[in-house]
Amino acid sequence: MSTRAPARRAPGLADLAELRLLLAWRRLRGRGGAAEGVAQLLLFAVSLPASILFAALVGVGSFRAARAPHGLQATVTIAAVLYGLWQTWTAVSLTMSERDAIDLRRLLVYPVAPARLYLLGLGTSIVGDPFALFWLVLLAGMLVGAALARPGAWILLLALELAIFAAATVAFIALAQETLGRLARSRRWRELAAATAIAGWLLIVFSSSAGGGGALRGALPVLRQLRWILYPAALATEAVERLYGGRPLASLPWLAILAAAAATTGWLAYRIGISTARSGGEAGRVAVSRDASRPGSPFPERFGPLFEKELRTLTRHPAARIYVLALPAVAAFLGWKAPAYLVGDLAELLRALPLFGLAAYVHLGLQVFWVNCLGFERGGARALFLAPIAPEQVLAAKNLALFACATAVFALAASAYLMVAGAQPLWVVAGALALEVGLAPVLYGLGNILSIATPRVAPFGLQRAGSVSSLAALAAMGITSGALVVFALPVMGALWLDALWVLPVAWTVLAAGAAAAWKVTLPLVGRFLVRRREQVLAVVCGEAGI
Amino acid sequence: MLAVETQGLTRLFDGKPAVLELGLVVPVGAFYGFLGPNGAGKSTTMKMLTGLLAPTSGTARVLGIDLARDALAVKALTGVVPDGLNLFERLTGAEQLRIHGQLYGLARREAARRAFELLEALELVGDADKLVQDYSHGMKKRLALGCALIHGPKLLFLDEPFEGIDAVAVAGIRRMLQDLVSRGAMTIFLTSHVLEVVERLVSHVGIIHRGRLVAQGTLDEVRASGTLEETFIRAVGEERPAPQALSWLGREGGAPEGT
Repeated sequence: MSTRAPARRAPGLADLAELRLLLAWRRLRGRGGAAEGVAQLLLFAVSLPASILFAALVGVGSFRAARAPHGLQATVTIAAVLYGLWQTWTAVSLTMSERDAIDLRRLLVYPVAPARLYLLGLGTSIVGDPFALFWLVLLAGMLVGAALARPGAWILLLALELAIFAAATVAFIALAQETLGRLARSRRWRELAAATAIAGWLLIVFSSSAGGGGALRGALPVLRQLRWILYPAALATEAVERLYGGRPLASLPWLAILAAAAATTGWLAYRIGISTARSGGEAGRVAVSRDASRPGSPFPERFGPLFEKELRTLTRHPAARIYVLALPAVAAFLGWKAPAYLVGDLAELLRALPLFGLAAYVHLGLQVFWVNCLGFERGGARALFLAPIAPEQVLAAKNLALFACATAVFALAASAYLMVAGAQPLWVVAGALALEVGLAPVLYGLGNILSIATPRVAPFGLQRAGSVSSLAALAAMGITSGALVVFALPVMGALWLDALWVLPVAWTVLAAGAAAAWKVTLPLVGRFLVRRREQVLAVVCGEAGI
Repeated sequence: MLAVETQGLTRLFDGKPAVLELGLVVPVGAFYGFLGPNGAGKSTTMKMLTGLLAPTSGTARVLGIDLARDALAVKALTGVVPDGLNLFERLTGAEQLRIHGQLYGLARREAARRAFELLEALELVGDADKLVQDYSHGMKKRLALGCALIHGPKLLFLDEPFEGIDAVAVAGIRRMLQDLVSRGAMTIFLTSHVLEVVERLVSHVGIIHRGRLVAQGTLDEVRASGTLEETFIRAVGEERPAPQALSWLGREGGAPEGT
């Protein structure tokens, strides 16, 4: 007997999208889900008006460029918008944005073409990312400005070119993430290569920031061809310039090249992503000394191994490793370029800002480790509750290990800056150190509470996957801003007194107060962790959603 | 003194009981098999006994210590292999064992020595320098067992220790556990679905069903004249018939075209 087979339909994407929605809905309906949802809405609520404001500015520029006679007035504006937008989009995506993504490794089991999954991952990464929407609204502003200035069919072609530019940028970011993620997976020499690549890339990005042409290009005409490395912006500029100049046919070849480049970039990113997913784990061995006779930790009893474990975990995290190597390169670049711009009435204070900025940025760069300090443990979190150790010791070990890492990174970055920019007054160096040390207990102390209240299982090594909940991300923005405001108050005092040496003194006092507060409240936070252990374990030891 | 003694131990989730009025009695030196169908409350019970879950009501004494009063003392005397494992994935196997031992109060040198011995005993010495995340499931299970043993616990909790491990490894672990109990080194509290393995290992059995303890005693007392499997099925009161409704399975046209 034969039964009629059910009709075949294209498997996958709709089902996966439904699954994703369902999981998101469950998360929102679960414990703490309402707060998470409100936080996500707030993030969009903040970014949307800001994007509309900036889109209006871009629209005005686009309007003028479309009305301008052919020549520099039009091309400079277009290049500035496209290069600037590409640069910030890429930089923010690679350094700050914590968006959800599809983990191909979990989904390869399903009968859905992995390429389609990857495409879905890229698409949803835009929809779920307030920053990405921000850039898209800016592009829309450019389109509206042009349409108001010179209505016509060419606007459709412009819309297509801007859409392909956005796709090319997303693909470029994906390629950079996959490449860096791949490079950072195992051996140290690979990390060095990754860090060198990042540093080089950052140099190019920052160099191109001054005006549409770029300071580096202006200074070194031989390197003009470097702009093609930024090909999504370079190709889009070539195409869009011709459109604004009233030559739609001439823009078509550039449009085709841009589309081909976007497709190739996306395909390459996918190939690396799928190859990484199919390769399983790192399969790398770690150089480990079996020498048991090394002297014990300087810390008492069980704190020592906890601290060691945290330090090893941190220093093996690809993001932390690359950060350790890349930030000094950025600092050196700052030392090269920044001093020339730091002139004026407040030059003495302005010249200190790069070092102060590095002191604060080092904590921002490592934010994921203090906002979600339990998330990377996964199953290991059980051990922390099963072992006879006080919960405040667990938190203290995490905080101190991160502080050691942050301080080491800061020391390297500050040294690189000083080597290039030259010696700075003692109050600047002391102030930067006090700022770096002083911010830590504030951020880590409040970060502990966030980590316990809004834990999220964090993938180890996948850069694109969300490691921090929306609520935690929003709260972290508030905590960081608040802490910076408090530490900025002495600056006002120092300027009023006309005595900048007050800054390191005041920041040291603040640091001592913050450290004392951290120490006093740690047992309370430890008790909070015990009370919340079931929720924390359920989230951290559970399976990550797709 | 009993290794484990609970009275009225209850845990509710959203008002629904996962474990209800549990009265476990595990003698010191026993190899105790805690059995039950899926969702019966085995893991919830084990989580309460190891301090991962707080009971809604009732008391639990482990090795004579009130768990609610001095959880740290209980933890220091017990070793646990939880169902979902408790390993730090970014440590190597050797580091994992050593640091685990240190967290339980061993000196670094002693922890490293024991770690090496355990790696040999668990046949993991060749993978000692590999990150745990690159271990197979079976290797992780063995490593977790090593972590549970490294500090020489008086009581070992094992949640499904044989799940996902090949037969050769199961035999090796079984021999090791039997040896530990027969030497009087420790009490073992184990949950498992594999009744044949449990029957060959344990001296005492407890059966939980829908959160309630439905049988408890020595193996011979509980199984009486039958096998443990027969007793188990009788105790949980379910002998499920083979499914009749899935008639489309294996039939022509059962799968979508083109798959």
